[in-house]
Amino acid sequence: MLFGCIHVPDFPVQAALHMEMETESVSFKNNAIAVLDGPESLLKIFSCNEQARQAGIVIGMTKLQAEACPGVVLRRRMAELETAAQSDLLACAYGFSPRVESTAPGTVIFDLTGGERLLGSQPEIGKQLAASAEEFGFTANTALAANADAALHAARGFAGITVIADGLEALRLASLPVEVLEPAPEILDTLDSWGIRNFKSLAALPSVPLTQRLGQPGLHLQRLARGEVRRELVPAEPPPSFQESVELEESVELLEPLGFVINRLLHELISRLRERSLATDHLQLDLMLEIHCDHQLHSQNPQAPAADPAASPLPALHRRTLKLPVPTQDGKVLLKLLQLDLAGHPPPAPVKKVSVEVFPARVRTTQSGLFQPLAPEPAQLEITLARLRAAVGEKDDHDRDRVGFPTNTDSHRPDSFQVLARAEESTDAKRGRNRGGQQKEILECLPAPQLVLRRFRPPLAAYVECSPPAPAPSKSEIPAAVIFNGARAKVVHACGPWRSSGLWWDQSGRWQHDEWDVALSLNGVAGLYRIFRDAQSGQWFVEGMYD
Amino acid sequence: MASLAVIRAQVESRLPGALTVYERAAHEVFPTGIAALDRHIGGIPQSALTQFCTPAGMSSGKTSLLVSLMSQMTRREQFCALVDAGDCFDPSSAEPAGVNLARLLWIRCGNSVCASIPERTPSARSGDLAARRKLSPLEQAFKAADILVQNGGFSLIAVDLGNVEEKLVRKVPLTTWFRFARVIEKMPAALLFLMPFPAAQSCAGLTLHLACAEPRWSAMKNQETKQISHAQFFAGLLCEAEIGRSRLRKPMQSANGARFTAIPRWA
Repeated sequence: MLFGCIHVPDFPVQAALHMEMETESVSFKNNAIAVLDGPESLLKIFSCNEQARQAGIVIGMTKLQAEACPGVVLRRRMAELETAAQSDLLACAYGFSPRVESTAPGTVIFDLTGGERLLGSQPEIGKQLAASAEEFGFTANTALAANADAALHAARGFAGITVIADGLEALRLASLPVEVLEPAPEILDTLDSWGIRNFKSLAALPSVPLTQRLGQPGLHLQRLARGEVRRELVPAEPPPSFQESVELEESVELLEPLGFVINRLLHELISRLRERSLATDHLQLDLMLEIHCDHQLHSQNPQAPAADPAASPLPALHRRTLKLPVPTQDGKVLLKLLQLDLAGHPPPAPVKKVSVEVFPARVRTTQSGLFQPLAPEPAQLEITLARLRAAVGEKDDHDRDRVGFPTNTDSHRPDSFQVLARAEESTDAKRGRNRGGQQKEILECLPAPQLVLRRFRPPLAAYVECSPPAPAPSKSEIPAAVIFNGARAKVVHACGPWRSSGLWWDQSGRWQHDEWDVALSLNGVAGLYRIFRDAQSGQWFVEGMYD
Repeated sequence: MASLAVIRAQVESRLPGALTVYERAAHEVFPTGIAALDRHIGGIPQSALTQFCTPAGMSSGKTSLLVSLMSQMTRREQFCALVDAGDCFDPSSAEPAGVNLARLLWIRCGNSVCASIPERTPSARSGDLAARRKLSPLEQAFKAADILVQNGGFSLIAVDLGNVEEKLVRKVPLTTWFRFARVIEKMPAALLFLMPFPAAQSCAGLTLHLACAEPRWSAMKNQETKQISHAQFFAGLLCEAEIGRSRLRKPMQSANGARFTAIPRWA
């Protein structure tokens, strides 16, 4: 067996420099660099390079203390940079072996068994490792050994390239300090009190008394110090990709064959999600369109606008996004939703490439109670809503949804409401629900139902004949007849006016209504209506009917 | 008798259920929340088609009755769907009446504009153009009701055709109502239509006729205040509901209908 290890000392510092070296021409490699971490008010030195140590920087120093050290460049720790640097380190290791373990930030171990014939002798492999790490922008220690942990400790403890022959691990690692083993602080204290400073003295201790005093962790440390631990690597897995795309030989012009293509891609993605016990609640479909520009037509008709693909009014990419209320693994549901969405928003040109990306989410684990009332299944409800939108349309003239769950907005303006795609329970409703049985009893004891209004959307324009002004103290004109919908209705009874207004500070949004409740007799049928006069325009409208 | 049993057995061996009498399951009911009406009709039958009938343009209390029913159901954490052919539902009136709007799916039919169809579109070529024509509000309402009935999950599916012209409702074939009635029979939900006349006929489990309601005004104590229009206000609507047809109660208990008063918020 042969294992290799690449260890990047002061990894946070090198990770911070790694991106700068790629983007900027100026190199800070030889500068004293220290990385700060912690909350903004309590930034402390988390890591620093050798030059910074020489300049007086100590781990745990506050930012203020660090700034007192001359010539030290301070950087904030960034997790994204470290993740990117670790990915580069893994990429470097994958160049030598397919079995790579991401042991720790800045450290990778990989299996090189049988690699000598391909890569050369062990010292040559060590040199290649160091050169490759250098190419990736890291100043790293490399080690080769017959077991993974020996390689790891050698890379951590010795600078440069270290090659340990099989069977000589204990001898070669003997001089390393016990801190390289990264024992628990209490064990380290105990070893320190015993005068155990390096691997050699730890390895020389009798195993049974050591186990009696330090337990199994102590014995494991001793076996590590002797280079006796042989374990299997835990290979790092590349982050899963949940994107599938297919480029079509012939562009697709119809939605039905496009559905077959999408179904195949979705099937792949869903099975990939299921393998990892994941679901999705967010899906993105990208359709690359084939937009032709007829140059010949343009040459025949020079007055026609230039057929420049860049100036084409049609975008080359048709993107549709689906968001579900709950994660699902049901490919049929996703396909149906996409088909309904595409039927409502078809691509404006034939499709030459289809790409589907799903964003993974945890599988929904909640289970509704056995005795809960009937409720629509969330994924099925999404399909129902999509079908309903296809039947009645998506938006009205005021850009409000035609299908959804209504909610009243916080305004006194008449008919101000929103329609939400997802049900959102109001605070009042939640409070009412929490009261439980008490609320039910109140409702059951209600003496009478509440009268509601049937609105006309938009309000019907009307002409109102008013009677002469009444004597004091009223002085207002009372509606005597209302003409709307091509018919004249006599006002049997009227009460009002009641003025409501709002948004007086907004020139475009202000409103002011004088409302009347009138009983009308129309073709022998009595109806009770709410009419209003818009104070700004003076126009009368019928707002709705009490029913 | 023995030969009759043999014949019956032979027929049923070839056509199972051919001689079995079709029995409808006993209806459960949803209370409307109006005590007088619940005493009179027993409630809105589950797994049946119900129709509230009242001529167009008449204040009869049908919408208040519907809102009261939805209030009762949503408070019991049941989901309701309202297919609004005339787009006349008022959420600002319904919420104070006790309707939990988060449990109400509202489908607003109307003169919706279909999505614009570009020149080069897959759907245009596949012949979907005819399918994407503009549907009338009545057609939209029936299509939406059909989708909801097929999907299930709602305890009440209400279709408000109160603002649709009577001549258009008369054109709806009886088979449509029959199909709705048979589908809803197998579901634990109530299907309710608000219509200008009893179009569903015998397909309905309950037909309720609502008469022209009588408005009530606030008490006018003296002649002087009677003349002042803003010194009085509208105080309620006295409604009367009469059973036209019911599978729950036979024969009818009373010739007189149930009376109830719908009260506005400010009264």
